[in-house]
Amino acid sequence: MTMKVTGIQVFWIIMCMDLGMTLVMTLSPSLEAAKQDAWLSIIVAGLIALLVALLATRAAHLYPGQTLIEYSETILGAWLGKAVVITYLVQWYTIIPIVLSQFTDLVQIMLLQGTPREAVALLMVLLIVYATYAGGIEGIGRCSEFLGPVILIMISFVLIASLNHIHWKNIMPVYADSGMAGIWGGTLAPASYLGHSVEYLMFAFFINQPRKGAPFAFGAVITAVLFVLMTTVMTIMTSGVNLSSKAWYPFFEMTKRISLFGFIDNLDAIPVVIWIASVFVKLAIYLFITSYGTAQFLKVSNWRTMVWFIAPVIFVFSLFPQNVTEATAHYLLNYWVPVALPVNMIGLPLLLLIVGKIKQGKQAAPAQLE
Amino acid sequence: MMTKALKLCKSLILLVILGLTTSCWDRKEMDDLAMVMASGLDMTDDGQLEVTLQIALPTGIPSAVQAGGKKPSSVMVISAKGKNASEATSRLQQQLSRMIYFGQRGVIVVGEQYARHGLDRVLDTFTRLPESRYNSYFVTAYGTTAKEILNASYQLELIPSIGLNKILASNVSFPVKIDEFLNTLSMQGKSPITPAVRIVHKGSSKETFMVDRAAAYRANKLAGFMTPEELRLLRWWTGESKRMRFSVQAEPADEQFAGIIGAELLNSSSKIHISMKNGLPEVSISLLASTRSIDNDSRIDLSKISNMDYVEALMSKQVQADFEKMLSHTQKELKSDILGIGEEVHIEHPYAWKKIKKDWFDIYPSVPVTVKAHIKIERTGKTKAPAHLKTSG
Repeated sequence: MTMKVTGIQVFWIIMCMDLGMTLVMTLSPSLEAAKQDAWLSIIVAGLIALLVALLATRAAHLYPGQTLIEYSETILGAWLGKAVVITYLVQWYTIIPIVLSQFTDLVQIMLLQGTPREAVALLMVLLIVYATYAGGIEGIGRCSEFLGPVILIMISFVLIASLNHIHWKNIMPVYADSGMAGIWGGTLAPASYLGHSVEYLMFAFFINQPRKGAPFAFGAVITAVLFVLMTTVMTIMTSGVNLSSKAWYPFFEMTKRISLFGFIDNLDAIPVVIWIASVFVKLAIYLFITSYGTAQFLKVSNWRTMVWFIAPVIFVFSLFPQNVTEATAHYLLNYWVPVALPVNMIGLPLLLLIVGKIKQGKQAAPAQLE
Repeated sequence: MMTKALKLCKSLILLVILGLTTSCWDRKEMDDLAMVMASGLDMTDDGQLEVTLQIALPTGIPSAVQAGGKKPSSVMVISAKGKNASEATSRLQQQLSRMIYFGQRGVIVVGEQYARHGLDRVLDTFTRLPESRYNSYFVTAYGTTAKEILNASYQLELIPSIGLNKILASNVSFPVKIDEFLNTLSMQGKSPITPAVRIVHKGSSKETFMVDRAAAYRANKLAGFMTPEELRLLRWWTGESKRMRFSVQAEPADEQFAGIIGAELLNSSSKIHISMKNGLPEVSISLLASTRSIDNDSRIDLSKISNMDYVEALMSKQVQADFEKMLSHTQKELKSDILGIGEEVHIEHPYAWKKIKKDWFDIYPSVPVTVKAHIKIERTGKTKAPAHLKTSG
């Protein structure tokens, strides 16, 4: 049985993965490093994310009939190929529990202080297991096709409703306070979150017209970056950098500030919708590619059986981080930014692309001689 | 066989999801909550923090049918002391059968004594508590304690703090919300300011509160209060000048006319410009406004251009002088940068600011400021000279 997703579904999948988490998780480190110039950081981060998307789509299109697990061996040979695959599996296996515990942290901090973490995490695990097991990537694609526009509408609403709180001077002075170093420091966290389009390496295989997926991936990254950029500017102008850089979730704080016509306020529910929808899509996609990838890697014929092993593991691991700092800050600053961003998102796709091109060139050359 | 097990499994998952999504651990029933409408903070003489809460009593709020009968009190005001906010709040909680809930708090009052001592121990809780809102107004009590303010009666609203909230929300005063206050407090080049509330007609049946002053802070300490006249100029400065009126003595008074012309602001704006001299800022401020004259108790005929120019110049001069007076009060006496001149230096001359920002509070009182006011009369109302003016002779 083959699962297929359409180009527009790829657009929504990548957009959901990029947008929601970046908005909620990376604004705070970015504002802390770059202060009122965080929006410049987002622009730089957006360029990095586009580079990641470029490398991922180019590399994935070398062998459109294969998944990452297969073509990395085709390109780099059995051993090196396996090493590359393991690097990615490490990324996938660690990101799922972290995202899950970030999700439970936020729910606990902002909404349900009395609810045990296990209950919140279990609910999400059951949901993604159901989506992955029953729907596969096709089901997830359809879900994101529906949830993606909802996310965009909600964010637009928050941005428009915050317009009456704007203080232009909050964004001044531009550049002088943070300088190059500050802006670069604020770039890495959002860049590493916007770089999730690297997962295109894995699911390019499932696109019904594999070679036509690239524009959708680029469109998704650009849309996500634009929305993150607008939200960052609005957060700075409505909340000011001093307060928002000290909050865990500046985007939530901005929506708490909304007050329209004196009677529409307390709109905390909106970012929760954005957050849960994007976490759901992201986790479901990761669960799918992890299950599928592991199954292919271990030569298990039915990838669905892997879900039953992976789900309990990620659930247990998600309970390990003891507090919000461990899950949100440590993983981001010790693995995701220094390792995943340069190696998994830029280095390895580049390696696959270069070696793959050379290999294809060599194969094509004798053919031309005949 | 397989399908049966799978079906069982699926329905189990569904049941678990259904059970979990209700999230019963965090249920908050309306009749288990004590809705805090306003909270007050004071410092006792022995240095403890006293927290006062005004809590809405649902049973005290009469329905339409009951209205008019004997009124039960619609709020309950309780206070407790402690060494910080959470200690005092937990003492309050011990007196209450319902859980204290800050989600609806509209006003936060600080007593004058506590403000002068310096606002510490509590500020963090306003942003840290998840249910705490940024939409609460922040006011300083003038010449009294927060406890007195929250105990004061107010007749127009069932819940007094809602009355205070509405006064603050209307544009006749100077609204400052808690997040603005904290944001300003975290800036190096700006001092926080809040409206100041006081009780008038104390002890009589006409007892009510009034917001006609502003409290200027230096860092987290109250530096002093601004007079009602200064408050009006501050509103002009922040652009909240709607319906603001002022009058000018245009002629010496005689037996028929007092010689005063009054005007109401239609549009106003203010500009600030900083130039650096020897690494130190020089400030020029300009105030622009168009007005309409609303009363003319003088012999001046406002339809004549020359008279108009004369009155405009007179008004400009007066506003200029008033603003300068306010500035010297805040700058020299209170030493509180409520206009945010430092922040303006930060924006216009960011690199020079880096050098002086550490010492800004020492530099600020001696920064030269020039003020220019430019006021235009745009409309004169339906009459030219006063209609009852006797024609000469």
